[in-house]
Amino acid sequence: MFNLLAQEAASNVDAGKAIALALGIGLGSLGAGIGIGNIFGSMIQAVARQPELRGELQGIQWLGFALTEAVVFYGLIGGLLAFVLV
Amino acid sequence: MKRLSLLVLGFLLVLPAQLALASTTEGGEEEFNPEHDFEIGEWIPIHLGPLDLSINKAVAYLLLGTAVTIGLGLLLMRVKVGDKNDPKRRQAVGEMVYEIAQTQVAEQGLPHKAIGRWFPYVATLMLFIWVLNIISFIPLPLSNETFELFGVELPTLALYAATSSISVTLALAFMTFVFTHIEGVRHNGPVKYFKSWIPDVPKAMYPLIVPLEILGQFMRLVSLSIRLYANMLAGHMLILTFIGLIFVLGNLFIAPLVIGAATAFYLFEVVIVVSIQAFIFAALSAIYIGSAIEPEH
Repeated sequence: MFNLLAQEAASNVDAGKAIALALGIGLGSLGAGIGIGNIFGSMIQAVARQPELRGELQGIQWLGFALTEAVVFYGLIGGLLAFVLV
Repeated sequence: MKRLSLLVLGFLLVLPAQLALASTTEGGEEEFNPEHDFEIGEWIPIHLGPLDLSINKAVAYLLLGTAVTIGLGLLLMRVKVGDKNDPKRRQAVGEMVYEIAQTQVAEQGLPHKAIGRWFPYVATLMLFIWVLNIISFIPLPLSNETFELFGVELPTLALYAATSSISVTLALAFMTFVFTHIEGVRHNGPVKYFKSWIPDVPKAMYPLIVPLEILGQFMRLVSLSIRLYANMLAGHMLILTFIGLIFVLGNLFIAPLVIGAATAFYLFEVVIVVSIQAFIFAALSAIYIGSAIEPEH
């Protein structure tokens, strides 16, 4: 992956692979970014309306955060697999 | 004080890279490649027929993590504090960990009758994964590379997470998977348990839904293991990539920039990701086991 930066693109195939990997992860993180923003936004609203529920909501919030955030990593693993295997 | 600790942290981050630089300039034969840092090597080969039980880097980290977890448990929760009944800071930390494990993990997922049996499992899982994650961000002399200091060959200080190896996380997730189905069958009987997988849909939909639900059970195994594995792998790779940029571009002037970025990611990982991932793994294990014990909820 890093040889690409170091020796310029050795061939078009490598360059295409690098673009595909970056695009895949980038688009994956786009979706997860929206999702995580949604979760924290809802959490702020919920706590603003009912501050006494903060403790109970916090566990659910982090659960939702991690479940959403994992989506990026599925993209990353898929991208790395494609990068290594192709 | 804060600035000093940041400085020390930055130094700790730079140290492995500097040592790596020293070893490569001396040898000069291999170029920098971050993928080498995730090779686990084979330190003490143990081969039993087709089984490969060698002690490698990941196993060494697992052993260390186990020892630290046991030590932490004894230190925080077992060793008597004074002879009076005054809670010291050490005990307060222990109680905080216990309370998170009980109220946030066990009681969220497990039904009331199963807490006594499964609380130890999920709490151990949480503490163990947390320790594995946190020791992975401390530079330790456990690595495949060596450097010479006053004529003595020493292993390079390096960051490595046992949980950034998929075998480790898959084994942990597999334990939860097995326990889930054992508990489901034990509490509900096999027929009622496997019937509970099928949701309330018209009978005509069964050929479509049933394979999906069975696949879903196995997808839990995959998602549970990949979440932890990829989080730790990505965190380490980010830090390594930023520091590695100095060597890839061969330019020392970008060092302040990339070291700043690497320190920021390091702090983000240590403060947030490490604890969240440990918590999530334990909480999801509790939820899976709980939903198998009482499928209708």
